[in-house]
Amino acid sequence: MIKINNLSVRYGDFYALNHITLEIPRGTWTCLVGPNGAGKTTFLKTLLGNKAYDGSITIDGLEVYKNLRNVAFVPQRPEIPAGMDVAEYVMLGRARLDGWGRESKKSRQFVHTILEETQLLGLQHQLVTQLSGGEMQRVLIARALVQEPEIMILDEPTSALDLHHQISTLNQIDRLKDSGTTIISTMHDITLGAMYAERIIVMHKGQVLLDGPSNEVIHSPELKKAFDNGISIFTLDSGRPVIVASRELPAP
Amino acid sequence: MQTQEMGRIWHWRTTVFVGILLAFILLLGVSFGPISLDFTKIIRTLFGFSGGLKDEERTLLLELRLPRVLLAALVGAALATSGAVYQTVFRNPLADPYLLGAAAGAGLGATLAFTGSNKTFYAALPLFAFLGAVLAVAATFLISGKAFSDPATLLLSGIAIGSFATAVQTYLQQRNSQVLRPVYSWILGQLTVADWNVVKWASIYIVLALFILIRMSRLLDGLLLSDEEAFSLGISPNKIRIIAIAAATLATATAVSASGLIGFVGIVVPHLVRGLTKRATNRALFTVALTGAGFLVLADLGARTLLSPAELPIGVITAFVGAPFLLFVLRAKRVMK
Repeated sequence: MIKINNLSVRYGDFYALNHITLEIPRGTWTCLVGPNGAGKTTFLKTLLGNKAYDGSITIDGLEVYKNLRNVAFVPQRPEIPAGMDVAEYVMLGRARLDGWGRESKKSRQFVHTILEETQLLGLQHQLVTQLSGGEMQRVLIARALVQEPEIMILDEPTSALDLHHQISTLNQIDRLKDSGTTIISTMHDITLGAMYAERIIVMHKGQVLLDGPSNEVIHSPELKKAFDNGISIFTLDSGRPVIVASRELPAP
Repeated sequence: MQTQEMGRIWHWRTTVFVGILLAFILLLGVSFGPISLDFTKIIRTLFGFSGGLKDEERTLLLELRLPRVLLAALVGAALATSGAVYQTVFRNPLADPYLLGAAAGAGLGATLAFTGSNKTFYAALPLFAFLGAVLAVAATFLISGKAFSDPATLLLSGIAIGSFATAVQTYLQQRNSQVLRPVYSWILGQLTVADWNVVKWASIYIVLALFILIRMSRLLDGLLLSDEEAFSLGISPNKIRIIAIAAATLATATAVSASGLIGFVGIVVPHLVRGLTKRATNRALFTVALTGAGFLVLADLGARTLLSPAELPIGVITAFVGAPFLLFVLRAKRVMK
């Protein structure tokens, strides 16, 4: 259980996160949506515990700040190291479990399995600097998966992926959730987010604007407000909602 | 597919090869000079077999050449490893061990020792240089703010401290023009002072520092990622940076105080290893240390023999050979891409 109480993060006078209070139960998938600059990424990075904040964030009763927990992080813009191949890079995900620089036989087998599942087998000797954006994204997710994390934090995990890999990646994360890992992600594609996450939190200017089960949030008129009425929501005959950007921009 | 193919982190074959090469270079180093010594006789003498060198040659080997070659190896290993570590910590391929003001601080310390004009001060030159280097790096840390928020700030503070120390040093030199020559020759680097005493204390600090750095070398892989990623993988990047810089500074300050400023080793050797293996140097720190040792022993050999019986400052050799060599490696790397 993650408990967030009165959480604020400031950059000077600017509140990137403004007094947020919420709880995230174990083994659930929560998706953060909202316009650029709403504070989604700041929220994710603060959850990691490497960033100073006001208020409190506890995981199972322990404050996260400077507390090294097994929380995997898939950043939107990773720092891509020179001179490291895919297998070594993914192996870094086992560092916490094996001890840094050591690799157990079990880890090697596990990395092999994950590379197979993420369809990266064959690329393992490629240097990470030579990968395409989509391949790098999958490598990052593979590294997070081999961590066997208690919580997995993903910042736009599907943004660089083609449609096929979007679905296979999200299915994989979904399986991880079923095994008890808590998933917290941001996603610009709200439709896709609602297909997987059971809960959607809409953020706006550092605050929580809407918070509830995906189906309710996605049909709520408040959702449009978060995007300054720049989106249209349709419901297909199957009952599935589709959210797209409106052609006409609202008057400023 | 075999799981073994998942990739060993570092190929020990490379390290063993470099180690054997280094042993050969060390032998070359003690053998050549104004008086050449026979290879087999050297080995026999060192391992205490009969049929070794005669008395005078024996003294030459044990009291002059051997400490000098060992000191060159130690200093080379220290500078090369520190350079590789600094390059990782600052994410800057041009970072070298003198970056945080260690060189300028040591220079100022040495100048102070020389201007003391007192023989007791003169003998304390290594101590002054050592303290100068350590104090300059400490000052760099202090002015960059608490526990340094980012490497760029630290780098800029290093430049500021370095400039300040150099200014003070120049002022002192102008006031005491008799020290110009010794300070200048010290800045160019020299291994002529090597005796067993120097080797002994230098080896204590350098081996300790290198042991720490090589032990933590894999943690340095985490510094190649963003800080959030490193943290999520289980390391605190700032803690690692502070330990790495402290150990690298200890090695650098010791090297500087033992042999003056020997430039270029800290840049050329890590790039050489990186260029040849196409790998990040962190996992290869031990290989970098061995390569650095070999590089400086060879450079010292050149310094002793090229203008024999006169001696060239070793810094001249490292730059003279190192600069074109570095360009060659960088160019070859670009062509391969």
